[in-house]
Amino acid sequence: MKFKMYKFLFTVLISMIVANSAFAKTKITWWNYSDEGGGLDATLKEMVQDKFNASQNDIELEIIFKDGDVNDNTRTALLAGVGPDIITSSGASYVKAYHDAGFLLSLEKYSQQYGWADKILPWAYNTGVFDGQFYSFPQNYETMLYFYNKTLFEENGWKLPTNLKEYEDLAEKIMAKGMNPYVYGSSGWQPTHEHLVGNYFNTYAGPENVYKALTGEIKWTDPVFVESIELLKKHMLAGYWAGSLENYYAIGWDDYFSQLTNRQAAMLPIGTWGFGDTIAGFEAISDEFGWSKLPILGNYGGNPNYQLSIGSTMSINASSKHPDEAAKVINWMISDKKRVVELTKKLGFGNWLIPLNYDDDDFSQDIHPSMRDFFVDFSETTAKGDYGYTTWTFYPAEAGSHVWKEMEVVWAGDITVMEYLEEQQKLWDKARSKNALIPVGKR
Amino acid sequence: MNTLFSKNFITWYFLLPVLIIHFLVIIFPSLSSLILCFTDWNGFGKINFVGLENFKELFDDRVFLLTLKHNLIWTVLFLTIPIAVALLGAYLLTGVKRFQLFYRFVFFFPYILASVVNCLIWKYLFHPMHGIGTYLSSFGLDFFSTSPLTSKSTSLYAVAWVDGWHFWGFLVVIYITAMYQVDESLYEAADIEGATKWQKFWYVTFPMISPTFFFSLLIIIIWSVPAFDYVHMLTNGGPAYSSEVLANFLYYEAFYQMKVGYASSIGALMFVYVFIITALFGLLRRLGLDI
Amino acid sequence: MALSKFKKRSALFNHFVLMLLALSIILPILILFFNSLKPQSELLTNPLGAPMTLRFTNYYDAFVFGNYSRIMLNSLYFVVGTLVVCLPLSALASFSLAILSPRGKLTTSIAVYLLIGLSIPAQLYILPLFILWKNLYLTNTYIGLIIIYSALNAPFAVFLMRSYMIQLPKELFEAAKVDGASTFELFYKIAIPLSWPVFLTSGLIVGLAVWNEFLFAVTFIQDENFKPISTILFSFSDKYAHDYSLISAASIMMAAPIGILFILFQRNFIAGLTSGGLKG
Repeated sequence: MKFKMYKFLFTVLISMIVANSAFAKTKITWWNYSDEGGGLDATLKEMVQDKFNASQNDIELEIIFKDGDVNDNTRTALLAGVGPDIITSSGASYVKAYHDAGFLLSLEKYSQQYGWADKILPWAYNTGVFDGQFYSFPQNYETMLYFYNKTLFEENGWKLPTNLKEYEDLAEKIMAKGMNPYVYGSSGWQPTHEHLVGNYFNTYAGPENVYKALTGEIKWTDPVFVESIELLKKHMLAGYWAGSLENYYAIGWDDYFSQLTNRQAAMLPIGTWGFGDTIAGFEAISDEFGWSKLPILGNYGGNPNYQLSIGSTMSINASSKHPDEAAKVINWMISDKKRVVELTKKLGFGNWLIPLNYDDDDFSQDIHPSMRDFFVDFSETTAKGDYGYTTWTFYPAEAGSHVWKEMEVVWAGDITVMEYLEEQQKLWDKARSKNALIPVGKR
Repeated sequence: MNTLFSKNFITWYFLLPVLIIHFLVIIFPSLSSLILCFTDWNGFGKINFVGLENFKELFDDRVFLLTLKHNLIWTVLFLTIPIAVALLGAYLLTGVKRFQLFYRFVFFFPYILASVVNCLIWKYLFHPMHGIGTYLSSFGLDFFSTSPLTSKSTSLYAVAWVDGWHFWGFLVVIYITAMYQVDESLYEAADIEGATKWQKFWYVTFPMISPTFFFSLLIIIIWSVPAFDYVHMLTNGGPAYSSEVLANFLYYEAFYQMKVGYASSIGALMFVYVFIITALFGLLRRLGLDI
Repeated sequence: MALSKFKKRSALFNHFVLMLLALSIILPILILFFNSLKPQSELLTNPLGAPMTLRFTNYYDAFVFGNYSRIMLNSLYFVVGTLVVCLPLSALASFSLAILSPRGKLTTSIAVYLLIGLSIPAQLYILPLFILWKNLYLTNTYIGLIIIYSALNAPFAVFLMRSYMIQLPKELFEAAKVDGASTFELFYKIAIPLSWPVFLTSGLIVGLAVWNEFLFAVTFIQDENFKPISTILFSFSDKYAHDYSLISAASIMMAAPIGILFILFQRNFIAGLTSGGLKG
């Protein structure tokens, strides 16, 4: 009797072990950056990791959130020959560096297998194509726009500017009332300066010229760019943002929304990542907010445009042991547009806005009307070809960090605008000669 | 067999564990890094040797020379103000009977806080719109209407202030332990002669604590070279490089500009800088100062 | 009579200056403490004053969001682990430098060698170190980071211990040697028991350094479960958002354990830096 018992238990045990190994799940690791305060970690776990794991039985996805700079962690691991299956990077310049070093797996075959080129917006897709093959998946797309206090404008009879003269006149009117025309600042994030440079390049010199400079057809020392930066310098020193250059350096994220809702400032030039806090901030007060594309300041500006930007990217580690499974994870992420919208909605639309071809019915009814309008407008405007280029997506590493690091020196008056642009051009030439440029799709 | 346990070898055995982990963790990787200063590595791809290119570029770089100057200023600042305040604090502390533990704890507390916290506190206090600036303005005192961290002329000093604010308590603890060891009878003799507080300090206290004092000088000089945290978090070297220091510049070149080779040459020069200072110190020591 | 009055006035003057210095420290930290109790919205209207509404939930949020209990345990492992490795090794080295060869070229060169290590910026060697550690399978392990922390803190510990040990009475050692004690016995029977004050002091300083350390922790620990407490502050602030009240609460929670330890061990802490007893 006893012996039979043991045999039975033994068989059960063995079958369990065999079953477990036969159906052992493939583990896929993915390193992302951490933002617990913004709810990112919990949301990604819930909406991506848990949902994916629940949807199938073969793969177990684990997302690991890295504090500090995920790029530093990732690069260190990649150099040591390890690292996660799915790699997150902060942008195109990292992807380029990883690709050149051979750390990334070509996703071309998966792209063709799953038809990614049709699902992702073309300009976004192109930023991931190196040497004719697809390598990196955009996690997010962003663009720059304005939020403004609509109620304040109505009360004062102000109108949004449509050209340089109106822009400067409006700023004067606002300052006369003791308010800041714009609130923006770089405290805690020095690269903020690149947003302003990009804004002025794309609205004064215009996207066509920026494209030509990116591809080397004209130089960054061309008068259109010199004038753009001179204008930026003039406005910064006049205190357009936060009232003075010093205050601009001291203002940080919290101040943006508090100043806008407290009527200490009239407008906020920020990226789409500001939607969430703007909506939340205005919900608590009686004023209403509005949003708008950036006004065109120069003759070459063209029509009001949206600057293109890819936020973070996803790629597959070339030394990953399970690339097929990793590709499955990535494909799953974009396979249900409603789920994608749901995810980004939880993050206030500031993050994980994957650049897919959205239709109106992909958005549920409870999205804030401003956001819905934005999505629609973005698709229409960019489809027409009215799009520009942000510096952090399309610049190579050295030129990209030079743009913001040296801007302070220009504002301080230690170097001239021409010297700044000459240094920029030198860095671009150097990058060009080393083949370190970021791909820019044709207009 | 006996030689293995002879005095000389035993000395080494005792030292070996520390020396081994120290070499493994710090020296060996640093040496590997220093080799990189002859390359143009970007942190990812191929390593190309470029000889002394990086050094030539470094000496032409206006930022590097500015940074070097800032580190010198930083060292001088830290060798004077925190030391003076700490000596004052420690000395006065020996002259009170009660609340000693209270004062010691208070003075030392900022040193316990993580540097991130200290930076947050002071960034908040310096804020032009809701910091002490606005508070003082209501009394008509306008000097903090803009944050001292954001103007070229004061940024470096403002950062040094925050770092010094957290650091001098540590010096107080070091000095006060030395001061406790000074013989009471010396003070009594001085009292009889009618010495003032200052005279007592200068003629009794200071000479008696000179080994500790020189130790503090050395440690401040050495720790001032890799100074990074406070600069990075408060101003990131700005505005316009007015508060840039060597370690922050190195970090920028290595991780943002992706010029790891170039950054390593900055590291090499920092190494030389320290070597010179330490050698100078050794020289002074040989001249008879008791360390 | 006159002397005691003089002493009283002199003490008052001392207290006055000391109080000023103390206020320069207390006030900023008090504001941090106040902010940790305010709701986010009150920060705008009442940036520097005492909280008008008390929001203890900031602490609760920081506790939960930051997974406080787990990360505090991890930090504890790292601190205790580092002390267990670093202190004995440093004691051995200090004994050698202080007692076995009190002067001469050896001491100076070793001292210089260790000191110079203190001045190398971490950014310079952290990358090659990671690659080395990866090849030794030490990344993402408790012991791996403990070894690193021990190496980083050993120079300072050795310095402290050496200056303390050098003041131990030589006669004790001479007498023991005459009695036939081996060098190792000299170490653990005489030097160690007499040096416990400096061990306590070094323990507190090294422990503090490990508790607050961030850069190496974040580079070498990949697993959520091993994260130490220093990472909690970065959970609440990045380039986008700062929730000051949460960060303030988290900072207080992070400083509290060390603060308490210091209060408890203050006297011993000072004793460790002295020669351990009156002379003569």
